[in-house]
Amino acid sequence: MIVEGNYLLPGSPDAIWDLLMDPAVLAKAMPGTRTLERVEPDRYEGVMRVGIGPITAAEFALGIVLSDIQRPQRYAMQIDSKGRFGFTRGLARVELVPEANGTVMRYSADLQIGGKIAALGQRLLESVSKLLLRQGLEALNQELQTRLGGAPS
Amino acid sequence: MKPPVFAYHRPDTVEQALALLVEHEDAKPLAGGQSLIPAMNFRLAAPAVLVDLGALEGLRGISTQGNELRIGAMTTHSSVERSPEVARVAPLLAEAMPHIAHPQIRNRGTLGGSLAHADPAAELPAVMLALGARLVLQSAQAERRVAARDFFTGLFATALAPGELVTAIEIAALPAHSGVAFEEFARRHGDFALVGVAAVVTLDEGGRCREARIALLSVGEGPVLAERAVAALHDEQPNPEAIRAAAEAAGTDDIDPPADLHASAAYRRQLARVLTRRALSRAVDRARA
Repeated sequence: MIVEGNYLLPGSPDAIWDLLMDPAVLAKAMPGTRTLERVEPDRYEGVMRVGIGPITAAEFALGIVLSDIQRPQRYAMQIDSKGRFGFTRGLARVELVPEANGTVMRYSADLQIGGKIAALGQRLLESVSKLLLRQGLEALNQELQTRLGGAPS
Repeated sequence: MKPPVFAYHRPDTVEQALALLVEHEDAKPLAGGQSLIPAMNFRLAAPAVLVDLGALEGLRGISTQGNELRIGAMTTHSSVERSPEVARVAPLLAEAMPHIAHPQIRNRGTLGGSLAHADPAAELPAVMLALGARLVLQSAQAERRVAARDFFTGLFATALAPGELVTAIEIAALPAHSGVAFEEFARRHGDFALVGVAAVVTLDEGGRCREARIALLSVGEGPVLAERAVAALHDEQPNPEAIRAAAEAAGTDDIDPPADLHASAAYRRQLARVLTRRALSRAVDRARA
């Protein structure tokens, strides 16, 4: 499944870049993240707990490895999550483009979702992904506005 | 497959059921169980406590008061399907019923259960939006009424608060010169529809479209009201050109459908156009009759 889009964030690419590398901020962009630690400069590990509607929330072990790091223009994230209900893996590319009133974050991810959740919930995967992405971007935007305090929005 | 271990209660009164839901934070109300039990058997859902509403006879039954139909939340799809009162006051609902899954599921599944579950591919949420129905919600403290358009808030998400139950659905009869139609497309009858449309059209004395409501299913996170399609029809003579323009708006502007193994987003848009056109044509014909 390919997920891509643009999202306008407050602040300059430099300011946003530093915050995006902060595990506490990164966690906000991924709904359901319970813990996230930077175990190496370019590697994060954590735990997510995700549930939708009738599905009881389940824990997923989460690993993120950064590559192609070109501060403050772009980076890529290899994302792996695994839990009782299945797995997600894929590569997400993030690009920061300065604009008059902030920074546009361009993102694209090619995600593979497998296991029980993909077999039983196939018809819902895209809706669920869009929902989590939207919640994540809104939470990230709010976090950046709080942290950058009074930055243009 | 077997569900994980859970505690089971079968209260005799609505008050007891509400008290149990308050007492056990991780309790799920069990209506007809046609979605919840499979999810539990696949171990996707694992509520610690089930509160079976099956003994609450007060939540079952169909009645009319003046121009208004009231259906208890625990009324089965089959009972609604066969009800002469539903056919008379809410023919759209009667027309949609046979599209819901299979007869075996309709024998056990309930109206309130389907609405509270809020599956984006379910027929009833869209039908309730098109009919402008109200849901009666009850908690241990109070009873409130919520319009269908405010009840469905997202993917499997509703305005139900924790500890609240749907107890009834209220549907007002449509004004004179109204017509309705329901259309859906599924690869096999009983499968989740790829797209569905519920349409209500009311004409004025001059035969122009005074009011319309078009609701689509399986094209988003929940049922979607096609507002641009309605705007294209408003105050127009609903001739084939106007209906075509409304159907085009429904498929192009009103929805952002998901893709899955069964249908691409573009295919869902095309189905929405075709089915909206068919539903509106039939609804208009009936409104003129």
